Amino acid sequence: MNPLCPVREHVSRRAFLKASLSVGGAAVANWGGLFNSASLAAEAKKQGMRCILMWMNGGASQIDTFDMKPGRPTGGPFRPISSKVAGTQVCEYLPKLAQQTDKLAIIRSMVTSEPDHPGGITSMHIGYRPEVSIAHPELGAVIAKYHGKPDSDLPTFIRMGPAGNGGPGFLGPEYQPFSIGRDGRLPPFSDAYATAESEKRRSDLLKLVEDGFTQENKADPYGAHRLAKEKAWRLLKSKGIFDVTKDWPKAKERYGDSEFGRGCFLARKLVEADVPFVEVGHDNYDSHADNFVCHKANMNQLDPAWSSLLIDLQERGLLEKTLVVWMGEVGRTPYINNRAGRDHYIRAWTIVLAGAGVKGGLTYGETDIDGKTVKDKPVTEGDLFATIYSALGISPRTKHMVGTRPITVAPERSVAVADILS
Amino acid sequence: MITPRHLLLLSAASFGLILQPARADEKPFRQMIDQEIKAAWQRENVKPAPRSSDAEFLRRIHLDLVGTIPTHDEARQFLQDTDEQKRAKLIDRLLEDPRFAQQQASVWDLAIFGRQPPGGEVTRRRDVFQKWLQEKFAKNEPYDVWVKEVLNAEGNTSEVGPAMFYAQFRNQPEEAAMAVSRIFLGTQLQCARCHDHPFDKWQQLDFYGMAGFFARLVFVEGGNANQRSMLIGEKRTGEVMFSGPVTEQVPGKKGTPVQAKFLGSTPLEEPALPAGFKDVEVKGAKTFPKPDFSRKEKLAEWVVAPENPYFAKAVANRVWAQFMGRGVVHLVDNLSDKNPPSHPELFEALSKELKARKYDLKWYIRELVNSETYQLSGRGESTDAAPRWFERARVRPLTAEEILAALRLATGYDQGVKPGEKLPNAGNEYFMRYFGEPLNGRGDFQASLNEHLFLNNSSNLRQMIQAKKGNLADTLATSKEPAEERVERLFLTVLSRLPRAEEKERFAAHLTTAGQKPEALVEEAVWALLNSAEFRFNH
Repeated sequence: MNPLCPVREHVSRRAFLKASLSVGGAAVANWGGLFNSASLAAEAKKQGMRCILMWMNGGASQIDTFDMKPGRPTGGPFRPISSKVAGTQVCEYLPKLAQQTDKLAIIRSMVTSEPDHPGGITSMHIGYRPEVSIAHPELGAVIAKYHGKPDSDLPTFIRMGPAGNGGPGFLGPEYQPFSIGRDGRLPPFSDAYATAESEKRRSDLLKLVEDGFTQENKADPYGAHRLAKEKAWRLLKSKGIFDVTKDWPKAKERYGDSEFGRGCFLARKLVEADVPFVEVGHDNYDSHADNFVCHKANMNQLDPAWSSLLIDLQERGLLEKTLVVWMGEVGRTPYINNRAGRDHYIRAWTIVLAGAGVKGGLTYGETDIDGKTVKDKPVTEGDLFATIYSALGISPRTKHMVGTRPITVAPERSVAVADILS
Repeated sequence: MITPRHLLLLSAASFGLILQPARADEKPFRQMIDQEIKAAWQRENVKPAPRSSDAEFLRRIHLDLVGTIPTHDEARQFLQDTDEQKRAKLIDRLLEDPRFAQQQASVWDLAIFGRQPPGGEVTRRRDVFQKWLQEKFAKNEPYDVWVKEVLNAEGNTSEVGPAMFYAQFRNQPEEAAMAVSRIFLGTQLQCARCHDHPFDKWQQLDFYGMAGFFARLVFVEGGNANQRSMLIGEKRTGEVMFSGPVTEQVPGKKGTPVQAKFLGSTPLEEPALPAGFKDVEVKGAKTFPKPDFSRKEKLAEWVVAPENPYFAKAVANRVWAQFMGRGVVHLVDNLSDKNPPSHPELFEALSKELKARKYDLKWYIRELVNSETYQLSGRGESTDAAPRWFERARVRPLTAEEILAALRLATGYDQGVKPGEKLPNAGNEYFMRYFGEPLNGRGDFQASLNEHLFLNNSSNLRQMIQAKKGNLADTLATSKEPAEERVERLFLTVLSRLPRAEEKERFAAHLTTAGQKPEALVEEAVWALLNSAEFRFNH
């Protein structure tokens, strides 16, 4: 054993495996999944947590949404409106969300490191600056690892629309994102050519061969292989959940008739079904020109989708277990360029969290009068990820061995924003 | 006992070097291996697995030596053969098979480049490099000789095989230093890039000292839209700059040049520049003249020198792990005082003997796979993929290349392709995508849902298992043989073994299911075997 590897992980895994194997035939179907997740779930302080990431692809403007500067040269034409929380104002194009601000923790002091899209998309999905030599896993992969339910039929890391580009990194293909189309369409090879009878005949033959083989051959990889096969079968059985055509006509009245709204609705259904991580992308924020036209149109979609999602999660008792993150790869400049656009800006921008015990009804950090700099309490992408992981019961100092090098899930020197965590 | 073959090898290997005299009572090296392994079992109170069955051995040795499974006829013949020497004979035969060189080149290509090498379009297709490396294995050129050639490489990647190695590290001497240390010296330097290594003796200056050897490499990109290429050369000037621990960096801080220094050894002594020296112009260059003093040449000499403390150990351990599943030092690229070998005496002996044999990898591989240790069964209670005490055969997933080769062979996909003809594409890029990286960062197998969606539902696999004139499914569907015999044929073809009694009965019943088309039933049966763990893994 590599002396740098934590002994704990090896031992607990092995011990668990023995325990589950002794249960007999019935348990064998799942034991690969159990050892992958049960001991891991024990490492997470909270169980069954979920996360929905609303990804504002291109980078949403903080000044036109949650950190408004009315009357200043940087302020733009939008007006602020009061919200449910006294003293917290949001943009006039977020009227429904304004009624949900008691659930929101608005961080107005983001200071990040990657000013452009590919780098920003990566770093805001992995919590690190991109590195050549280490493939850090995305948020979704980490959450899938620690909160994935072993006996669920569904994938543990799902995304739709424009989304992250980092993948599972060193966590490996088990935590690969399961990408579905913006309309909920499943990935390649999700449609069976075999009829149900044919599938049963061939899978019965396979089980016979597998049972015979694994009676004498006990190595771990065989179980993992079998589990993945069963997941593939179970996905076919459960894939109906991705089809929301029946519920959508009614739901779209509340979520708004947009791809993003439909994505948020599907995300709600997926976390209800115990999927631990869903990312829903929302496009067209990169408003180097016509910033205000873009943002008005986007908020018209964002407002009903986001607010309905929060309401539905709360009604179902899921909000306390589900972290809803609103962010993109960059913020936008306070100054307005000569095409009525705003460019990329990473020195003072805003992201919003809700649920999973995050304190609602507050704003954290502050920018100056024109929104150009952070006056107080800067938060880096590392700090943000430490906060997200903490809210989900995963210690930011959780280590993974990459070759011989221990890598924490959030950067070594990152600090979770304690003020917004309960 | 020394066999005549052994003596022959000894005399061949001793040509031109001083070997300890071969004594008649000297044990074959494979016995020394088994002795050390058994001693550890006793000490650790470990119960070993039994000897592998012939069928287990047959499949394993084919995959390990030639990268695919045996044919139906080869399997049947081997299992029926009563010759007690049949395993050793099969090993000798496979070591001379042209696919042996192909398979070893493929293993090393993956070790050197991985699945996602840096270097973009240039390093994506490496036919010239792979062919070059295959020739090395076909000739059984000593390992140190071809590694030296890699490290000395220059010229155009479209013409000079080994030049591809450096194409990964365009303007990144630090990355080159890490790769050379890891691949050829089994040493992890990367922590020392940003700070002195926390667990090991390496300091930042060791890292930048090694990087200095690559600071003068120059790269010119070229080629056409079809295949990008890179011209590699070397300048006479240029240094790596060092500016202290990464935590103390501030914008605008300039580093100081670092002297090139051999890892854990002395600084490089360099002659002064000739008066009025002017270095080559890189931009637009078509060729590069060799500088009067070449740093990479000095490094290459040092890496393969007999005094190098890491080189022999690293390769002995890496090739051991290739066949035995894990290194005597595990992980293979982490030789370090802090990471001692599981079998210290064996570890010393492996590298010492390999060095004495002038890095004859074929000799080494022959000894490894003839050992009782390698030929243990994969059955047993241990659940580790590769047990620490080597008390049971290791289990490893087939590589994407092996899966594809085994599928083509088992299903008879390439029936009708004439020898020498290019094989048709069978959806190779899908196999790379779904089977290319089966291990996580720690070397554990990671099952993937997408892999199984592909196996279950793709037309790529289906076109292999549907009956088509002359292929396996067609043979089985149109055969007049009794169902039991067809089941035997199926199992020997796909799993290289005979079916168990229960399997024979159930599969025979399946093939004769009333009211179903024989082609459809055969397709289902072939699918079942191809999807088994027994097929997915080398065990």
